[in-house]
Amino acid sequence: MNEAAKILQEYKGPKLRIMEVCGTHTHEIFKLGIRGLLSPDIELISGPGCPVCVTAADYIDEACYLAREKNCIITTFGDLVKVPGQKTSVSKERADGASVNIVYSPQDAALMAEKNPDREVVFLSVGFETTTPSDVLAVKYAMDKGIKNFSILTANKTMPKAYEAMASATDCYLYPGHVHAITGTKDCYDMLAKGTSGVIAGFTGPELLTALAVCVKKSQEGEPFLVNCYPRVVKDEGSPAAIKLVDEFMEPCDALWRGIGDIPMSGVKLRSKYSEFDARVKFDIPDMREEYKTPCRCGDVLQGKIKSYECPLFGKACTPDHPVGACMVSDEGACSAYYMYGGLI
Amino acid sequence: MDERITLNHGSGGHKTSELIADIFKKNLDNEYFTADDAAVMPAPEGRIVMSTDGFIVSPWEFPGGNIGKLSVCGTVNDIACMGARPLYLTCSYVIEEGFAVADLVRIAEAMGETARKAGVKIVAGDTKVAGKGQVDGLFITTAGVGVIENDVSLSGSYAKPGDSIIVTGDVGRHGCAILLARDEYGIEADVTSDCAPLADAALALIKAVPETHVIRDSTRGGVGTVLYEICDQSNVGIEIVSDSVPVDPAVKGVTGLLGLEPLYLACEGRFVVIVPSEFEEKAMEILRSVESTKDSVVIGKVVSDHQGKVVMKTPVGGMTFLPPPGKELLPRIC
Amino acid sequence: MCVGLSAKVISVKGDVALVDSSGAKREVSAALLEDLEPGEFVMVHAGAAIARITDDDVSETEDLAKEFLS
Repeated sequence: MNEAAKILQEYKGPKLRIMEVCGTHTHEIFKLGIRGLLSPDIELISGPGCPVCVTAADYIDEACYLAREKNCIITTFGDLVKVPGQKTSVSKERADGASVNIVYSPQDAALMAEKNPDREVVFLSVGFETTTPSDVLAVKYAMDKGIKNFSILTANKTMPKAYEAMASATDCYLYPGHVHAITGTKDCYDMLAKGTSGVIAGFTGPELLTALAVCVKKSQEGEPFLVNCYPRVVKDEGSPAAIKLVDEFMEPCDALWRGIGDIPMSGVKLRSKYSEFDARVKFDIPDMREEYKTPCRCGDVLQGKIKSYECPLFGKACTPDHPVGACMVSDEGACSAYYMYGGLI
Repeated sequence: MDERITLNHGSGGHKTSELIADIFKKNLDNEYFTADDAAVMPAPEGRIVMSTDGFIVSPWEFPGGNIGKLSVCGTVNDIACMGARPLYLTCSYVIEEGFAVADLVRIAEAMGETARKAGVKIVAGDTKVAGKGQVDGLFITTAGVGVIENDVSLSGSYAKPGDSIIVTGDVGRHGCAILLARDEYGIEADVTSDCAPLADAALALIKAVPETHVIRDSTRGGVGTVLYEICDQSNVGIEIVSDSVPVDPAVKGVTGLLGLEPLYLACEGRFVVIVPSEFEEKAMEILRSVESTKDSVVIGKVVSDHQGKVVMKTPVGGMTFLPPPGKELLPRIC
Repeated sequence: MCVGLSAKVISVKGDVALVDSSGAKREVSAALLEDLEPGEFVMVHAGAAIARITDDDVSETEDLAKEFLS
């Protein structure tokens, strides 16, 4: 590890931009203070972040609609509760009396439906490839048990199109280990074939430092590269069982990313034969999507084109207590960290 | 005695008298415990310290204690943080109609036992019964009086750059025990609340090290919140070594699964102690000699840089900020 | 994304595994991994065991360092 830290500290050369695309990577890099250990010639860019941060405002509005107008019990991962919609948030609805239950796992949400047969229970299904199998397992559980009062509101996203969309902003991806534990290494090799380098990384301090150092070393060789630095978890084939399961229940769809915009075919939704579990179909939710016009410049911040304080909303309309863009939603988001610590980290 | 509390128990009539005699007087009795409108005690010599605290905790019972024990520890520890010897407590119960009398007995027993252990006398009380659904089980408010027997002066505003920061045991155990007792996330772990009265430790410390600057009771906001409060009050920065913060392995497992920060989980038997560095060794020796603070650890120091912020040295040699407190603790998935 | 924690499998019953992560125990779905056995280590995310792993991140980073960093 010391060797890795030394490489990262002593690197001198052309500016190297490494983008992490995983909220937990961002979190750990922040928590471990890794930025401060890097040579000034290495820049870590916090990419699209986590599936919660990039959840679009109209999705939150849909969830609040189900809570308010359809009297559904909303079940959700904890981190989604504070994410603002266009007018409200799940936590505000909860304060106004909506039934909101935080669950650790989507299957717990299905269990809740089983225990409350006279209420409709909706799970807010957000997540990247790592989480989607769990969401599908909940649907499968409800299907197998004949639970009719359970459905999911999908905003599941997939990484490959986002990798393509952001590729020009980085010299090397720090690929999210737990996504690729499911999907395998194929998507990363596809990016390599297009000339984009990357390392697949784990989440502990030594794992992150080693992966970053491998990035630096390989970059100096001049050829595009891909190194799996997390082989104890990530196998080339990924998890065939998870891939098969998700493919059976879900199909690709377009998705809107908060602060970035539409990325075609960067999401998945339930196939129509499972639409009885699709909250959007089941409750015939009206289109909440307002014309997506916002001065929020999250996308430019994420791509390293501007600094947080150059966004017209920063610190004014957009603060950690009232975030507009994805980068302000989580504590470690680029804008949130800049707001709280003034660029010290 | 009835099996359940009814509105009659709060009416002030004979049912109320019965409740007081059979449950409260029986468990809390001492020479000052009063049936009159107020308790009368001799005035102690020294400066008087007074504090009050309300307790709502769901569930009211948890591994390591119950709300009765908690309501004594909370106020006793607040008083002790001022360097005072806790003397007297009052308690006010608001009980939900239908609450099981047997449970109330358990709570009063724990209260009496903890008060005796802490060397404090419960001298007056009040009982109200609220209609079904108006409170969640029962709420207890305690108020306490203590005395400062010397000229020691402690405050969260006295921290000085260079001071050593001690935490008197592992962090986040109470919050974790409560979280597990609620059984919302299907996780099981052997975690007991750290809930304990700490007055003996505080008194021993200020006797041996009257130069102590701060003793602060870490409660609902956890040690992280206390550190930020002290930064604010004293206009200083705080630097801690993240690896040195003691966390029980099972608490680590639970917080790992849920993505929570142990520094922001509640403690109910932990002080944050700040002493000039030259007294660090002496303070540690004293704290480690008292049972309730025997696992004390130095976690960092007060600094003049980055005022108002808590900075952490990380295991890989980096520096980072502890995110400021005040957010609802929510399990993370990403 | 994806808070993951490594845990040891204590027991397996059908599609459900009881896992232990430094003393925190929880039942998780074992449906994504075939023939999971007690004693194996898994990566747990959102109530599902998503991957079989080895619990040894030290030798892994050492191997990587040897191959790429020296």
